[in-house]
Parts: sequence; structure tokens; C-alpha cells
Amino acid sequence: MAGCRRLSGAGLREVLGPAQGVLFDCDGVLWAGERAVPGAPELLERLRRSGKAALFVSNNSRRSVAELERRFSRLGFRGVRAEHVFSSALCSALFLRQRLLGGGGDAGNGGGRVFVLGGEGLRGEVRDAGLRLAGEGESATGPAEPVRAVLVGYDDQFTFAKLAQACGYLRDPQCLLVATDPDPWHPLSDGQRTPGTGSLTAAVETASGRKALVVGKPNTYMFDCIVERFGVDPSRTLMVGDRLETDILFGKNCGLSTILTLTGVSRLEEAQAYMASDSAAAKDLVPNYYVDSIADLIPGLDE
Amino acid sequence: MAAMAGGGPRQCRRLEAEAARAVLGAADTLLFDCDGVLWRGEAAVGGAAATLGRLAAAGKRLCYVTNNSSRTRVAYTEKLRRLGFPPAEPRHIFGSAFCAARYLRQALPPGAAAYVLGSPALAAELEAVGIPHLGPGPAALPGPAPADWAQAPLDPAVRAVLVGFDEHFSYAKLCQALRYLLRGGSDCLLVGTNRDHRLPLEGGTGIPGTGCLVKAVETAAQREAFIVGKPNRYMFDCVVSEFNIDPARTIMVGDRLDTDILMGNSCGLTTLLTLTGVTTLDEVKGQEGGSALHSSIQDLLDHLVRCLVFCNCWHQRCWGPQLLPQLCPGWLAACPAHAPGPARPAEEPDGLGGQVQEHHHLLHNLAE
Repeated sequence: MAGCRRLSGAGLREVLGPAQGVLFDCDGVLWAGERAVPGAPELLERLRRSGKAALFVSNNSRRSVAELERRFSRLGFRGVRAEHVFSSALCSALFLRQRLLGGGGDAGNGGGRVFVLGGEGLRGEVRDAGLRLAGEGESATGPAEPVRAVLVGYDDQFTFAKLAQACGYLRDPQCLLVATDPDPWHPLSDGQRTPGTGSLTAAVETASGRKALVVGKPNTYMFDCIVERFGVDPSRTLMVGDRLETDILFGKNCGLSTILTLTGVSRLEEAQAYMASDSAAAKDLVPNYYVDSIADLIPGLDE
Repeated sequence: MAAMAGGGPRQCRRLEAEAARAVLGAADTLLFDCDGVLWRGEAAVGGAAATLGRLAAAGKRLCYVTNNSSRTRVAYTEKLRRLGFPPAEPRHIFGSAFCAARYLRQALPPGAAAYVLGSPALAAELEAVGIPHLGPGPAALPGPAPADWAQAPLDPAVRAVLVGFDEHFSYAKLCQALRYLLRGGSDCLLVGTNRDHRLPLEGGTGIPGTGCLVKAVETAAQREAFIVGKPNRYMFDCVVSEFNIDPARTIMVGDRLDTDILMGNSCGLTTLLTLTGVTTLDEVKGQEGGSALHSSIQDLLDHLVRCLVFCNCWHQRCWGPQLLPQLCPGWLAACPAHAPGPARPAEEPDGLGGQVQEHHHLLHNLAE
């Protein structure tokens, strides 16, 4: 079982030295709201200079990777390009492209439409993957293409009517139910919380009697996307995140060593409670290491 | 009589003739679910009104216990009258809106308010017991984005979030509910009227039920709601506090195993399952799969259907241990293999789809 040890001093060099790359969650790790975590841009710069790769894996399904690239730049992070960023919006679109268009089976009729519960960032990623959205660009005459997937993401315009509409599509057992991520809530900068995709997915699952396929952490699909594009070696890659139930479990599931940073959602006491628990599932939520902030990793890298 | 858990094997028998007279004779009170038992939408189930008229004439007390939170008690008395049922007073009606209001009146300190995700009927029932409330209808929040909503002032009097059927449910309202729950912590109650996944409509369609909205709030807040409706026993407690009920002389009549029958069995009542509702047993199967019930219920419901088609009695071997005896109704009203009408195919695992089983059997059995 992971030991939840504070990473500092010589330990930093021992852990960071052999690493070829680091996967970072974004919210609560690199930034909180509109402010970068102090020292975070410098850490990324030092990683780059040490010849280590930095990739980003986020459950946040609000933004397209193009928007995220601009966000990185705006918050003072240099050299982060869209291709380094794996958001649940992007990966959900890739997943749906595989399932609906891949294998050639449905290529003739274009794979059907996707009903998206989410904002423009998510909808854009689905379109960019070559899929058609329900409710867009449909011809006025002739039968509509069947809806072959319902995609639940962060949808701050979610309504009862959309829930009912999703259920209508899901009466077809061939229609997939996919969720971008399982997060039940997200922190706001003033300490309040806003409901996450997980709460909307729970409503759709309950109404339809179906279980959603969840793309985001802690499931491993986003890591598969990373490996496909960059070919990382899990044994030489670290996962850094702020949420035990998603980031740290994701790291465990993908065979990565994990570092919890305390600038976000999870408290050290929660990690320690999981460590003291008798349940095997709880033990998987314990990080190998923790730091107060990712800026604490800087001394572990070459000058 | 229905045996409780640990009281030996349960048997479900087809209710007719001698058995019917004995069971009905031994009962003073009948509790009826409404949707799917007495009516479907605005159409009364054939024979139901006459049946209840005969029961009332025979001196039975009739009460109505429904998870539907979209009507007030007064509105239910109106609907009963309109569809030809024996006259009922509001005190005979136990809807989840009324019972939720009653629960909050008991559980909240004086002057405390409720943030409500629900219908005008739910608001009216709160009004009737003097609980201040806000929230019904479309969300009225400043600005289009969550960042704006998080700044909207919270009413200091709110000490409960109440979730009922709400066609105006939205992310904005979910946000507000979460804010009240986080602000209050354990000092803010979270109450749901019921967990029904689906509201069946005429024609076999349906819309999402209150259970979906309750689940959304519970997931965001990471806490469990107190549920007023069946199968929990609170609504039966309301009946008991209004009338002097002897559970051993009370029959619960319903169309759903996981709400009506489960509650009835849990409260020590005789339970009678009708096949007039939940549209088809397929619907029940689909809903059971989505509920928190034991995962083998699917197999057991398959057994159930086969038993019905061949008109066998249900035996203990059809049911698993633990939870499932609680779901076994004491009696089954109207076996389709004996229903009057055209002959049915012998092998038809889903043969109950769309079959309308009338109340004739119950009525016939009650006559002399």
C-alpha cells in the first residue's frame, strides 16, 4: 500500500530524478479559479529544462483543449500546447468517435448523432471529432439520423426537459450512455461548491435504468489516449493531483506513482483516514507522496 | 396472512372466491395506491370505482396512499369524485406532498423555512401547515452563470431542502439546494418525497420521476435524503396517527413490488398486488434494475412472470433470502391466464405486456 509520505529534501531527487514525465491534474493543482498556484509556472519551466515531459489530464469538461491552451498562457504558463492537454471533453469525443465511427461498421450512415448535455466547449470537441450533434444541422425533411449516444458533461443549463429528452433516446438499448467524468461537485474560489457532472449523470442513470460509461478519472481511458499519442512508460511517469477519489485512484489504476498536492480538494486527514481504513478499496486512494503545493517539487529538479 | 421475515416461507396466492371472502372479511381498512391501481392518467381502471363502492358499502375504511407529490389532498378528493369513486375526505388521502409537509412540521423548529424543488401542490401543502418556503417554479437567479448564482443571497431562515417532482428542475436550482445544504450541514434537513424513477404516462411512455432529482441532490451534496414516500414507512405512520389502524386487519393494494408491497409487508399489513399498473411487468423489471434492490431481482421477476403465465402459485423457491420475501405480495389480484377474454399463447415470457387486468375478479369475489 502507498505510504502517503511527505516528499521533501533528498526524497524529491529520488522520486523526480528517474521520472521521464509528469501528468498533472489542472484545477486545484496548477491554478485555483483565475489564479495560478504560486510557483506552478516555474515548476513547469524547470521540468521542461530538465528534459522531462509535462502532460495535463483534467476531468473538467467545460473547455475545449484550444481554450485550455489559451488559459495556460493567460495564467502565466509557458509552452503548453493543446496537444499536451487531455481533457475529459476531448477524450469523451475520442471515445465516441471510436465507438460510433471506428471499425467501419456505421461509416456509411455517419455513425448517428450524439445528444450532448453540456456547454459549447464540450459540443465543439464532439464536432471536431467528426460527430454530429442532435439538434444541429438536421435537414427539415426526411427521417432524422438516430441518436446513438447520450453524452452527459458539465451542463449548467441542465433542465428537466433535457433529462426527459435524454431518457427518450436511451429507450433504444443501442444508444450509448457516456459521462465525461464522475465528479460530484467542484470547489469555487470562495469555498462554496458547484454541482458536478456526477450529479447530473446520477439523474440520467436513475431515470433510464442504465449505467453510464465514464470516460474521466479514475477510469483509465484518458491514460490510453495519452499513451496512444505520446507512448509514455507508466513506470517512469508520475501523477500529480488534488483529488484522492479521481486523481490518485487514476494513478493507481494506470500503474503510476502518485503525488497528492494540498492546494485543492482533498485534505491530508482524508488520505490518512483512507490509509487507516480496513477496506481494500480505501487503500487504493492513498497517494505514494504528498506536498503542500507543486512548487515544493522545484528543489527536486536540476538547476 | 402475510408472514414477516423470519416468520417462515411466504406464499403469494391468487385471490379469488373463498380466499377473497376470507381476506376481505378479515380487513377493516384498505389502503390503495392510486396511479396504476385506481386510474391511469385521467382514465379510471375498469371496475375499480364499482369495487371500491362495494367495499365502502360493506363498511370498509378506504384510504389512499400515493407517492405522487404533484397534487394536494383536496385535489385528490376532487379526482376521486370526478372518476366515480366513493366520496373521500382529505383526511383519507395520504399523498407524499402532504406527508412531507407533515414531516417538516414535526422536524423543523418554528419559523424555519424550506427551499423547495417541487410543484405548486407541494408548496400549497407546506403553506397549509404553516411552513415558509421558497423555490418552486423556474429558478429566479441573477445572471446566467454559476459564478453569479453563487453570489445570490441565501435566505437565513432555510433549514431544509425538500425535493419533490419538479418540472422546473435545473442546474441553477440544484446549485441553490447544494448551497443551503453546505451552509447548514447537519442543521439543514434533506428530504425527498419519494424515489420513483419514472412517472408512467398513458401509452407506455413515461417521464423521469422524482427519484432522479433526489439522486442528483444526494450526489452533489454527498449525503442521503430522508424519503417520505413508499416503501419507507413514514406515510403509513401518518395513516396510523389519523385513524386507529390494526395492521393485522389492514390490506395494502398496489401495483409495484418495490414501493407498495414492500411498505405493506414492512408494516405488517396484508398485501395485494394488482396487475393493472406499472404498465407491464417489463416496466417493473426495468425499474428494479435501476433501483438499489438486490441484483438477482431480475431473475426472480423472470420466475414470477413464468409462474403467472402458467397460473402457478408462487412458492418460496421463487424468492431469494433476506430482502426478497419482503417483496412477495400476500395475494395476487387477477391472474391473466384466467382473465376473461381471448385465449393467450401458452409460452409468452413477456406476455403480460399491455394486458389490462380488470378488477372484476375482486368484485366478483366480494359479491355474496
